[in-house]
Amino acid sequence: MEDFWYEFVEVTQTISDGLLFGSTYALIGVGFTLIFGAMGKLNMAYAAAALGGAYAGLAGFVLIKAPLVLVFGISAVAAAVLGYAIYFACFRFIPINNHLAALMASVGGLFFIDEVVVHVTRGSPLTFPSMFGDVFFEIGPYGIRGDLIFVFVIGLISTGILLYILFKTRLGLATRAVAQQDVAARLCGIGVHSTNSVTFAIAGVLGGIAGAMTAAAVGVLSPVMTVPLTIKGIIVAVIGGLGSIPGAIIAGLFVGGFENVFLYFRGIDERDMYVVALLFLFLVFRPNGLFGTAITRD
Amino acid sequence: MLMYSSMFRLNVKEEIKIMKRFFKGVSVGFLGCALMFSALTSSADRSVKVLGWGAQSGPLKSFGVNSETALRSAVAEINAAGGVKLGDGTMVPIEVIGYEDSACKKDQNIAILRKTASTTDAIVGMGTTCSGSCQAMFGVLQKKVGDASDSGLQMPILADTCIRPGLAKISEWAFRNVPNEIAMYDALFAWLSQQHPGIKTFSGGTETDQGHSFITHTAVIVQAAIKHGFEWVGPDVPELGPKVKQGMKELQAAAKSQHWLMGDTNYSVQARKIKKQNPDMVLVSSHPFSACGFLKEMKRQRVKPKLLVGLTSSASQETLNGCMKEAEGIIIPTGFAPITAEAQKANAIVTGAGGFLDLHSAAAWENAFLVKAAVEAAGITAKSDTLAEDRAKFRDALATITASDGLIGPVTRDTASGEASKPYVYVQVVDGKWKVIHDPRG
Amino acid sequence: MDYYLNLINTIGIHTLLGLSAYLLILTGQVSMAQAGFFGIGAYTAAILTVIFEWSILSAIGAAMLVSGGVAFLVGFPALRVRGLMLVVATIAFSEFARMFFYNLKWRVVRDGAEIGPDGTMGFAEIRYFNDNGWLNWEVTIFLWVFVAVVMALIWWSDKTRIGAVLRAVGEDELAADSTGINVTVVKIAAMTAGGVVAGLAGSLYAHQVTDLDHHTFTVLLATFAIAYPILGGLSNVFGTLIAVLFIQGLLVEGLRFLGDWRMLLFGALIILAMNIKPLGLFDNQTIRILRNALGVKRRSGSV
Repeated sequence: MEDFWYEFVEVTQTISDGLLFGSTYALIGVGFTLIFGAMGKLNMAYAAAALGGAYAGLAGFVLIKAPLVLVFGISAVAAAVLGYAIYFACFRFIPINNHLAALMASVGGLFFIDEVVVHVTRGSPLTFPSMFGDVFFEIGPYGIRGDLIFVFVIGLISTGILLYILFKTRLGLATRAVAQQDVAARLCGIGVHSTNSVTFAIAGVLGGIAGAMTAAAVGVLSPVMTVPLTIKGIIVAVIGGLGSIPGAIIAGLFVGGFENVFLYFRGIDERDMYVVALLFLFLVFRPNGLFGTAITRD
Repeated sequence: MLMYSSMFRLNVKEEIKIMKRFFKGVSVGFLGCALMFSALTSSADRSVKVLGWGAQSGPLKSFGVNSETALRSAVAEINAAGGVKLGDGTMVPIEVIGYEDSACKKDQNIAILRKTASTTDAIVGMGTTCSGSCQAMFGVLQKKVGDASDSGLQMPILADTCIRPGLAKISEWAFRNVPNEIAMYDALFAWLSQQHPGIKTFSGGTETDQGHSFITHTAVIVQAAIKHGFEWVGPDVPELGPKVKQGMKELQAAAKSQHWLMGDTNYSVQARKIKKQNPDMVLVSSHPFSACGFLKEMKRQRVKPKLLVGLTSSASQETLNGCMKEAEGIIIPTGFAPITAEAQKANAIVTGAGGFLDLHSAAAWENAFLVKAAVEAAGITAKSDTLAEDRAKFRDALATITASDGLIGPVTRDTASGEASKPYVYVQVVDGKWKVIHDPRG
Repeated sequence: MDYYLNLINTIGIHTLLGLSAYLLILTGQVSMAQAGFFGIGAYTAAILTVIFEWSILSAIGAAMLVSGGVAFLVGFPALRVRGLMLVVATIAFSEFARMFFYNLKWRVVRDGAEIGPDGTMGFAEIRYFNDNGWLNWEVTIFLWVFVAVVMALIWWSDKTRIGAVLRAVGEDELAADSTGINVTVVKIAAMTAGGVVAGLAGSLYAHQVTDLDHHTFTVLLATFAIAYPILGGLSNVFGTLIAVLFIQGLLVEGLRFLGDWRMLLFGALIILAMNIKPLGLFDNQTIRILRNALGVKRRSGSV
């Protein structure tokens, strides 16, 4: 009986750890889904730009001893700039219905950003300061990481702000208009390119926060994180339903939790296989994800 | 929503004509590039030519940068002292005709190897650091010297690390300059068991998708600790010993939960399992990124073992960059530390040139001197028309060298396997810096 | 010479990989599964020549069958998803295959040494060519015969109704369906054919590099696989070949003299290429320019 209770505690602890860590996946997923919802395109360079922002924030910490709030701020701004640059380089000049070329160009962007980071840091992993890193709540037999709760809360707040912008401001209106029907939007005088670039910048802000949060949660920043984060972000965006922001959040938590549970029960060798199988199940039985599309009309 | 160019049809004959002319143009361009390459890699004066390669892009960039700096600095030292003596008595410099970027990718390593072998006058290829790449490279070499039925490449390779056990025996043309991990960990745990009699139990984890980390952890480090009386308190472990190789799967299955992948970002499950086991000593057999991630998680979970032991590859600056505080106290056996006059001098030179000396790049430095020794023993002529013979002579000479001077002490080599037996010391992170805590030679 | 032969081999293998993705993109399916099929072909052929000591041709044939078979099975669930969802689903498949190889352990003792795939340690010493005394140029010709045959087959099928049917499905499924084309059959056939070609590429690759491990068969490789037809353009097979020459010949090998700037330029040049030629390097415009430059007169039509 004691064994069962112990297992129960362990499993629920595992789930909660996974859920909290999933907030980082959720934020990256929201970025992917936002861009997909707005333009119908996949920006493969998104996670790279997010981590690039995190590196910029780290540079602020290392060079000018910036306080943590400023570090996150720098990450957000830097990632927004990177996001805008990616839009300009990979999406702006490519014909709007040529999805493949834009995809490939953003892959080029991924390689480029990653390699710049490698050049500047010589590929070395770098320690990243954490907010509330020492805070650890012990509630009975459970231990909950304070910094992950912080990530979770910031994630919710940022998403809330994002949703507010999207649905309650003119900018958001313009974004949704362009997403639904860009020709009609142009006829109404909405500049498609300026709106899209702002969308990329906003997604970049989110990405920068996500990148900095992830780095703070792990404690280390390294270029090896880029590709796994890109894949996870895309998986989360798809499970949540491409174009749905609440979907991405829930899917992120879901993937984080499940991943940890699989790890606990089946070990590292099979963990990712189960995550992939989970994705398959969704694609086969619910191809529109958890919430389908919220921004665009197919 | 897919867009691609729509129907385009030319008359077949015209298409063929165009294709022919097009390919002629492409081959001319290609030949032009080829000539350019050969021009870049050949050299006029008489010298002993070597070509190096390593990771200069990608996450392992520091390997290539450090090894190149170390190699070039060592070669400069040799040349400043007069160079090497050829078979006819003349003294010529060693020339590093290039240092290529192999990005620790197998395809690129093989391409560079073939480029070195077939388009340059280099008598030896000096690369690389990553075990997986060496495994592939050694596989394209001729297995046994003189075997006419084997069309493998006949080009000596002297790798600076590639520390995974057993690689050099893939081919007689392959040589490494790595310490013997089995001997190192054996000696380390023997010493630890004497120094810390209060430490009884141990557990630990590794990154399973990195071949070197995984096999060294499972087959070398854990076994050495058990051999010296430490008790493994991970999940049930089947009877070990000679069955280790076959039993790897059982051992792996048993220790599942303390495994992670080298790019992982969440180590909470693994850290908690270790916390429950409450071991006195924890092994973190992993490269700096995931080692740091895991160590940070252990700290968060308030797991405080009395002793931490790490993987050889993590005895480097990268670990300090990634988690200086959390790595405090970790002990690693390593093949380099600036403890002798030689080592300190080399360290100063390489650091001045913008690199770091650690067990990986120090081997590159030592290799330059090894090349000198082999060249002088081989009596080569360093002329481009005797290249094949020079390479064969060099290989034979290198194979027979049984002793050389390493930076921290004499190195012996085993002629049968092409492997080195290097001196080693134990280093520990103390106050954020690597400090030598024990030299087993006394 | 050896170096150039090696490069030519690499180009050949990557061309096959690109062509396997090309077939699928023609039908409107952007598939990242080619890396998985590539890996399946590689491991199958290697296991057959190393552990079972089959001859190279039978091993390649069997590898093509196995990867084609798996591709056939993948084709069915792939029907249910479109566009970007298919990209994600096929990424998932390739990752699943990669994890399978990461776990695959099949060790056999021969002549006192262990051989065979060893999980994360990889599959070393796939030495069929060297052990049987094949010279480098013999390997190159062997490999390129396959490439030439595949290219010829695809080019020929492009000239016949097959090509038109594939492209019709890719352009507009509904329209194709209403002209009586069985879209399901076409898409699955394309997926299977893509799997067979990728398996062929993989089996050649395994013997070319003598060493396999799961790190090779990543999403990055799958990205390269679709990059070749996208970069090269979808008008004909030579586009893919040009793209392979561009990426493997120019960017990876040709720019070596730039040292560590090479990889920085890699991404930048891909971005540039896609912006300047979004329909591929070998699209209608290029062909028109070439035609004018080489002085070939067009008899009819206006393109």
